[in-house]
Amino acid sequence: MDKFVVNIIHRPEMVPEYAEKVTGHGQAEDIGRKALLTESLDIFKTQQECAHKNGLKTTIEMTYASLFNDEAVALAKEHHEKYGDEIALTLLGLPCKEFREKYKTKDFCIWMFSMEDKMAIVQDVFEKFYEKFGFYPESTGSYYMDAELTNYIKEKYPSVKCAVATCWEEGPKAYHTCNNSWYTFMDGGPWAPWIPSKQNTHAPAANEAEDSGIVAIPHLSRDLIACYDGNGSNFGTHPQNVLRGMIYDSDTWEYPYLYNLIDQYRYQAKFNDGYSYNMMFVGPGWMNKMGRWEAPYELLLKSYEDGCAYYGKLKKEGKLIDMTMSEFADYYRQKKSYTEPECALWRDILYGSQKQVFWYCDPYLRAGVNMDQGGAIVDLRPYVAKLNWPVGIGTPHIQDASYPFLIQEKYRAGYFTHYAGEGTVRSAKICHNGEEVDLCLCRTKAHFSEKVISGEGAVAAGSVSGACADEAGSDFGACAVNGGFISEESAAGSGAAKKAVKNRILTLDPVDIEFSDLTVKLQTVMTFIEGTGKIRIDRKVLSITPNGAGTSAETGADMDCAAADITINEYMVGCYGTTEYTEDMSSLTLFLEKGEEKTEIPYEYKCREASMEGADSATCIVPPIDTVVSMTCEGRDKAGYIKEGYAFSPMFTIGYTGKLCEKEVFTTWLNLEKAN
Amino acid sequence: MAQSGKGKLNYRCPSCFMRDLDLDMFYDKEKKEYYCIRCQYRGSEADVLEKNQMARFRYGAMMRRFEEKDFEDFSEG
Repeated sequence: MDKFVVNIIHRPEMVPEYAEKVTGHGQAEDIGRKALLTESLDIFKTQQECAHKNGLKTTIEMTYASLFNDEAVALAKEHHEKYGDEIALTLLGLPCKEFREKYKTKDFCIWMFSMEDKMAIVQDVFEKFYEKFGFYPESTGSYYMDAELTNYIKEKYPSVKCAVATCWEEGPKAYHTCNNSWYTFMDGGPWAPWIPSKQNTHAPAANEAEDSGIVAIPHLSRDLIACYDGNGSNFGTHPQNVLRGMIYDSDTWEYPYLYNLIDQYRYQAKFNDGYSYNMMFVGPGWMNKMGRWEAPYELLLKSYEDGCAYYGKLKKEGKLIDMTMSEFADYYRQKKSYTEPECALWRDILYGSQKQVFWYCDPYLRAGVNMDQGGAIVDLRPYVAKLNWPVGIGTPHIQDASYPFLIQEKYRAGYFTHYAGEGTVRSAKICHNGEEVDLCLCRTKAHFSEKVISGEGAVAAGSVSGACADEAGSDFGACAVNGGFISEESAAGSGAAKKAVKNRILTLDPVDIEFSDLTVKLQTVMTFIEGTGKIRIDRKVLSITPNGAGTSAETGADMDCAAADITINEYMVGCYGTTEYTEDMSSLTLFLEKGEEKTEIPYEYKCREASMEGADSATCIVPPIDTVVSMTCEGRDKAGYIKEGYAFSPMFTIGYTGKLCEKEVFTTWLNLEKAN
Repeated sequence: MAQSGKGKLNYRCPSCFMRDLDLDMFYDKEKKEYYCIRCQYRGSEADVLEKNQMARFRYGAMMRRFEEKDFEDFSEG
């Protein structure tokens, strides 16, 4: 039976974010105001009541401020005894009189402090927790937990096994929405629980050696289409976020979107070995008695009650299991292997567009595939680099915790650009008689499947050749690692040992490509090869039909392949960065290789191009993010090419051209490796 | 002219909201209007509510309740 797990988390935040700004408008700042403290605790009690009356247990994440409040401490103990709630410790909610007096700063985001301060604060907060409860917590978190912080906590307090560690796609978009004043830059991470690597929180661990020792959960479960384009804080399993997005009927106060969001997450069990996950975590500031923006308190309260009631209903129906964070960490380690990816086939449930995307995340890469653009890869993060990216004061990235992209269609355009240049995308163009059609303009839908990898035809993980030994065209996407089973060292927990390694296969509905004299029916199959950092893309021509005639199958006539002269151009336009603005590309190097032969272009913005018949690979080295990205190919008359880009189009392109006939398949691999 | 403050509810600028900006508006008691300090929008409470409704135009499926079978079924047109 599918297992849908929910973590409901509450924090007694004595000085809630927003509340001081809202309730205190017109007064000089005073975060010790009694009215503020009383209201905060009342909201926490209300939230707890909402969960408990629906039969749901919670994780109470004590804040630093709440550890100075005897009533909050007593409540946590009482609810732990009575309801089985976990008493945990968050690194959110640092602001209070005691903190400000001690640390002489108004900073409040743990990942932005200097490492020295992080260590001092962690020790202070954890010891204070121990003083109040007599044990160290098993769960912690913040909006973001950088790897250095997590490693320190795990070393000093090994009891910690679970942490809230990122907000999915909260970055420049959230910053803009908040009038350029909200400094949570943490794009590029997983949307569902994962085991962070010791090197970089966003990049999942590939094995025991990389395992940070915690299970990370995202801050909220967010809409995988709406949050990628819009303000992340409007479209998550945070009922008041749905109100913030004004996604409700203003007369009836109904918001089916909230339930659709929860249900579509439940649906993801189909793509993740029968498991799916939700997290709800609402800070007290969002249930302010003064209301929040245009939503009065009554609506804020109703939405939270309704959210808890829906989870409670699912539990009563046997469709949901509520867990505390530490319980979930144990479950997750039993359930998942290190290399097992998280997959999401997600449709638009808000705008009525029928758009569909697929997200894939494993220790080697995160990719977003847009079926409305013919299955183009529109987001790509090279986790294989396990990029060392310390954040906070005293590091090169004080606020910017995002994992860099190679492709990001919103920040660096995608298929569509204005006037000149190219945007980042991995797609293909089909060409005939001087006409050219990009698959980005061929809207389609995808179907998910899995294939357990057999020992036969296996290739070693990390091979750059990309030549998975199966017969092109006969059965798309068979490629194996380690004989088909993960080893003990690849298992995240004892229960996950000997879990089969599988390919995740995305089969797209065929599309018609109409040229002036003929129509090509083409199908794309994408195979995500577990444990390798490789994506295989097969393009198969199902038929070529002269316009005005039946298909060759119907007419019995073979299409003259030479006459049809169909050319394919498989390409990836990439760059690197974490924001909308371009980075210096001068350190990049592009090259083509065939045996001993090598053609190289060091990036100098000179708009140079090179091609090579029968190239083994087309590659770009991206030193600032320790990444090598390459394409390899199996296809008729293949030729690799590289393009440098120029100042107005600061991108690089790697690709292959080749020929296609009816029933023929053109196969390429996109390969990601760590540089050096 | 006295300084502006917050209104009875803390309305955001509907014009900025439509470009993904959450900007709290301030209330001018004398003119009985909300106004945005970032863009040029100003309006009565009734106008704000009307424009908020307009902002929902993009949520074409806002009131649709999806069922499990709908998540991979696009046949509804």
